[in-house]
Amino acid sequence: MAAPVLERVTTGPGRRARRRPGARRRDHLIGWLLIAPALAYFLIFLLYPALSALYYSFTDWNLRTEASWVGLANYADLLFDDVKYPHFWKSVSVTLQYTLIAVPLTLVAALAQALLLNAIRRGANLFRLLLFLPVVTAEAAVGAIWRWLYDPQYGLINTLLGLVGIPGQNWLNTPELVIPALAFIAAWQCGISMIIYLAGLKGIPGSIQEAAIIDGAGPWQRFWRVTFPMLRPTTFYLLVTGVIAALQVFGLVYVIFSGNGRSVTGGPEQSGLTYVLHLYLFAFRYDAMGAACAMSFILLVFIMIVTALQFRFVKQEAA
Amino acid sequence: MSRGLVRGAVVAALVCGLAACGSGGGGQSDGKELTFWMYQDRTPQAGQVMEQVRKDFEKANPGVTVKLVKIPKDDYNTKLGSAVASKSAPDAGILDQPLVSKYALDGTIKEVPAGLITEADYYKGALDTNRANGKLYGLPQDQTTVALFYNRKLVPTPPKTWDELKQVAAQVHAADANVAGMNVPKGDGYGAWMFPGIVHGAGGEMVDDAGKKVLFDQPPAVEALQLWVDLQKSSPRKITDSDKPFENGLAAMTISGPWDVPTIKEQFPDLDFGVAPLPYKSEPAGNIGGEDSVVFSTSKNPDLAWKWLAFLANAQNNGAVADAFGGFPVHLKAQVPAGGPEQAAFLEQLKVAHARPAVPQWIQVNDEIIAPAIESALTGKATAQQALTDAASKTRSLLGWNG
Repeated sequence: MAAPVLERVTTGPGRRARRRPGARRRDHLIGWLLIAPALAYFLIFLLYPALSALYYSFTDWNLRTEASWVGLANYADLLFDDVKYPHFWKSVSVTLQYTLIAVPLTLVAALAQALLLNAIRRGANLFRLLLFLPVVTAEAAVGAIWRWLYDPQYGLINTLLGLVGIPGQNWLNTPELVIPALAFIAAWQCGISMIIYLAGLKGIPGSIQEAAIIDGAGPWQRFWRVTFPMLRPTTFYLLVTGVIAALQVFGLVYVIFSGNGRSVTGGPEQSGLTYVLHLYLFAFRYDAMGAACAMSFILLVFIMIVTALQFRFVKQEAA
Repeated sequence: MSRGLVRGAVVAALVCGLAACGSGGGGQSDGKELTFWMYQDRTPQAGQVMEQVRKDFEKANPGVTVKLVKIPKDDYNTKLGSAVASKSAPDAGILDQPLVSKYALDGTIKEVPAGLITEADYYKGALDTNRANGKLYGLPQDQTTVALFYNRKLVPTPPKTWDELKQVAAQVHAADANVAGMNVPKGDGYGAWMFPGIVHGAGGEMVDDAGKKVLFDQPPAVEALQLWVDLQKSSPRKITDSDKPFENGLAAMTISGPWDVPTIKEQFPDLDFGVAPLPYKSEPAGNIGGEDSVVFSTSKNPDLAWKWLAFLANAQNNGAVADAFGGFPVHLKAQVPAGGPEQAAFLEQLKVAHARPAVPQWIQVNDEIIAPAIESALTGKATAQQALTDAASKTRSLLGWNG
């Protein structure tokens, strides 16, 4: 119902001719009214909470009593007081490791899937659907399934490894294996990146590939000399957004290491205690909302620095 | 006409948007509606029990509507904390035992009005979990404890002492290398919660909260942790880390609570298991858990809310209510709903169960200090003594205690 109406208002040929004085102001009003819901949403649910969090990061607050101003104490304690926050730096290191493994793995998986999908004609839609499914599956279900896949006794992964003679591992309970195991799940969920890569591939003019073929380039050369450089803007975009997402990983770790009576202490020896999980625990389990707010702003600043560095040092233009 | 349609659409969108923003409060306009927050029903039967009690209460108090809001246990404290912060807490709700003193000291919950209940009618241990500064801030609703679950096929007679426990576990594992003797608790929050029950079994204490002393670096606690370390020899993690090792017959024994009994019976009808009190070293002991119920200070109908909580905890209802919550009655005269043969073990265990330390930061100590210490001993990165000495000194620093 709305679509044809909008079309007539904005692009209908008759309107411009019938415009009367004062119509411009009315258009402004309608414009403001149209964006009002989005604006209200932004102000109430994004800006106000963010500014509140900034304020509370300078306070000692347990959600229930009045917050008391402590200045920079939360920031200083988080960074330097390992009695109050014994696992802060551990959570930083866990998150960095996760990011370093998960982001490249996701990009490689997404690009590989996109190349395969781009190459086939028959059944492409079916495969696109299947490869995208992990993205739309509820996080809790993903956690449950992967706990089962990684199971040291019944897990499909150990069974498959056993077929090629690799001994089974206790994936989610061996500190050294927890991060790679989580990163692998992230790569399995690469559907969105895959779709974006696919769009990028579709955008490469066929003539360039043809020219490369005429010049005698093999498939390998065509990938490294033509396709990959042409995808550089896509890769850059996925790298930046992927790093931001990986630094904030929470849901996956939470469902993998909680539920079923397990408590959310972040896996064996805190090996899966990611930064945001640590933040969550202080916010809602240990009653330190002020410190949790401070953690979120430390993360914000860190993400801004990392993103700025990527814009400065990573090539973004297609070549 | 088209312009009218646009305006209509814009107005409709605005109204929808604003209505969505404004409806968070859950307003109680007539003053006769009572909102009660609780955990999601464990079983369909539990839901029926709560529904019946709600109807009975509404019948006894004409014009009153009780609204039961059921929230998954994992999200409960998060949601409650947010609700309290935004001044939209319910009239009353369930509160996990260690949180009552925190909420009370903050003035978030109301003190129990004098004369609401006869204190002597209740189990002292369960009632005491509602106290802060000597005053009563809530009513207990159920109490629970953990005990030893054993697979009858693998363990004909449950062990009573630590030595027997180690012996039985070793025998089971020796008979079949693919079966673990015991699903030894891990160094996570859950394992750290169960640990004090074992420490008490060696005659020890975790802390002396009145004297502000940390005691879990003393011999009883070290021996308790050493027991878990020793048990691992006959209970490889590779087996016990799999999904439901006890239920699947891969671990001969495990420690769990009454909440697991119906689940196991329903999902693993073929498993022949029994429940026995926890093995001990020098004295029978265990730990206590359970739910309390409180009235929030923002409640518009506190009197009615207290009446409802007392109704849940009275002699007539508490048996069924406690059972619905997954624990045992807190009212001395309440009928314990007839349970299976497992029940006797839990009831015996409750008699010797100890409440957890009344230290406001205990959850953090449990998760962040004791759990990693247990884990480092279990993985052999430190001895039990080293791990606990280190953990105790960290706890002293965190709490600001000298002893």
